[in-house]
Amino acid sequence: MATENAEHGGGGFAIDPMHQFEIKTLFPMQFGNIDASFTNSSLFMVLAAAAVIGLMLTGINRRAMVPGRLQSIVELSYEFIANMLRDNVGTAGLRFFPFVFTLFTFILACNLLGMIPYSFTVTSHIIVTFALAFFIFIGVTILGFAVHGVGFMKFFVPHGVPVYLLPLVVPIEVVSYLTRPISLSVRLFANMMAGHTVLKVFAGFVIALGSFGIAPGIVPLVFMVGLTGLEVLVAALQAYVFAILTCIYLNDALHMH
Amino acid sequence: MGVAFRLVTELVAGVFVGAAIGWVLDSWLGTRPWFLLVFFFIGAAAGILNVYRAARQIAASTERDAGGDQQG
Repeated sequence: MATENAEHGGGGFAIDPMHQFEIKTLFPMQFGNIDASFTNSSLFMVLAAAAVIGLMLTGINRRAMVPGRLQSIVELSYEFIANMLRDNVGTAGLRFFPFVFTLFTFILACNLLGMIPYSFTVTSHIIVTFALAFFIFIGVTILGFAVHGVGFMKFFVPHGVPVYLLPLVVPIEVVSYLTRPISLSVRLFANMMAGHTVLKVFAGFVIALGSFGIAPGIVPLVFMVGLTGLEVLVAALQAYVFAILTCIYLNDALHMH
Repeated sequence: MGVAFRLVTELVAGVFVGAAIGWVLDSWLGTRPWFLLVFFFIGAAAGILNVYRAARQIAASTERDAGGDQQG
């Protein structure tokens, strides 16, 4: 990608670290006025979903008493999410296990697929993460009203606040509630985009300094190896943070404060 | 790093959402800049509240994990 771009730019080391985030249309599709083309982003979403489904199906295929490697991965991820729900939401939260599990594995697969060179990172676009966060927000709000009825409005009125402070406290609580989809989506998007941009910038250093000889090029390359490891960690960590915050929001909707 | 970044996004999102609500209300009602001013500060307060809650939740979960390790 970098060399191709340098050729287009013509000017030696004109490497554009943002080039990797470009959306390319693979199959144009048009529904009325809506551009619903199948893009490289859609392709990697399909690949992520297929990777998760494939891993799960092959993992539980043999159903051995002593699990093999793949079966262990499936069992571990099941227990991981089940424990997360039990700890943060309680046993009532296990109803939402399929939802949180799908969310976690999909984001994890998208993040990890993005670590493969020449691939596309779906979660580095804010519209993708915002759509995920926004539907969680809507769903959790509907859940809150479905469980508590109008009483869910009490969520915005903290206990023990004097009546004359309510006009100030209630708007603060409402705005605080409305920030949830923003902070949830920005966190995932910013982490993925910043990480991948840093990787590209350092990769540019390797080429630029490498032209002065082997030794100056080795230094950023060593950094690259470390950063790549860190980026794999961030990919897993952000999927975990997204899932655990979903659990916390579910807990708020089910049990209020 | 994850914790620090989480707190920063909570704060920024609070201010951003507050300002956005104020701006939209102003465009609807033609009262620029009053709602923007009011909701900017409400948003900042909400952001700080979110940071406080997130920090408490992180502290609680690390404490719980540490306790679990001692028991197990």
